[in-house]
Amino acid sequence: MQAATAPVKYAGRDYIVEMIVASALYIGAALSRHWLIAIARPHGLEMAAALVPALPVWAMLWVVWRYYRRIDEFEKKRFLETLAISFGIGSCLLCSFAFAADAGLSELDITWAWPTLAVTWALAGGIMHVLRR
Amino acid sequence: MKNRLPQLRAERGMTQADLADALNVSRQTVNALETGRYDPSLPLAFAIAKLFKCRIEDIFSPR
Repeated sequence: MQAATAPVKYAGRDYIVEMIVASALYIGAALSRHWLIAIARPHGLEMAAALVPALPVWAMLWVVWRYYRRIDEFEKKRFLETLAISFGIGSCLLCSFAFAADAGLSELDITWAWPTLAVTWALAGGIMHVLRR
Repeated sequence: MKNRLPQLRAERGMTQADLADALNVSRQTVNALETGRYDPSLPLAFAIAKLFKCRIEDIFSPR
C-alpha cells in the first residue's frame, strides 16, 4: 500500500542533500571571504562581500525549516527535543567561552560559530539517542 | 497505551515500512507507535483507524 504522495519518506534524504549543498557553500564563502572583501573594497562593496558567508547560513535555516515542515508529529517531537538540548549546550558553551575571555582566552573567529553549533546539534542528537533507549 | 497495530498490520501482510508509507509517517514513528513509546495525536489515530477500517478504541486501549 503506497500513499499517492509520501513526502515524509524522503524528508530525511532531501534534508541531507540540501544541508550538504548549503554547508559546502558556507565553507567556500567563509574561506574566501577575506579575498572577496579585498576585491570588493575598491568598489565600496566591502560590507556586501563580508556578508556573503551569512547567505548560506540563512539557507541552512531554510533547509531546517523545510525539513521540520515535512516530518511527521513523532519526528517533530524528537526534532524539537534535540533542538532544545542543542540550544542549551550551545548557550552554555558560549557563556563559558565569554567568561574565559576574561582570563585571556582569545576570541573565537566567527568562521567557527556555525560549525560549533553543528557539533552541539550532533552532540544533542547523540544524547537524545541514548536517553531514548 | 496498548495497541493492536502489530496484529492488524500482520493480518494485512504489511511491513512497518508499508504502514509508514500508507500513513505518510516515518518507519521510526510506526515502530514507536507499536512499541508504545509514542501515543498518536487524534488526527493520526483517526487516520490509522480509517486505514484499518476499525474504531480507534478497537486499536488503542489504556494500559
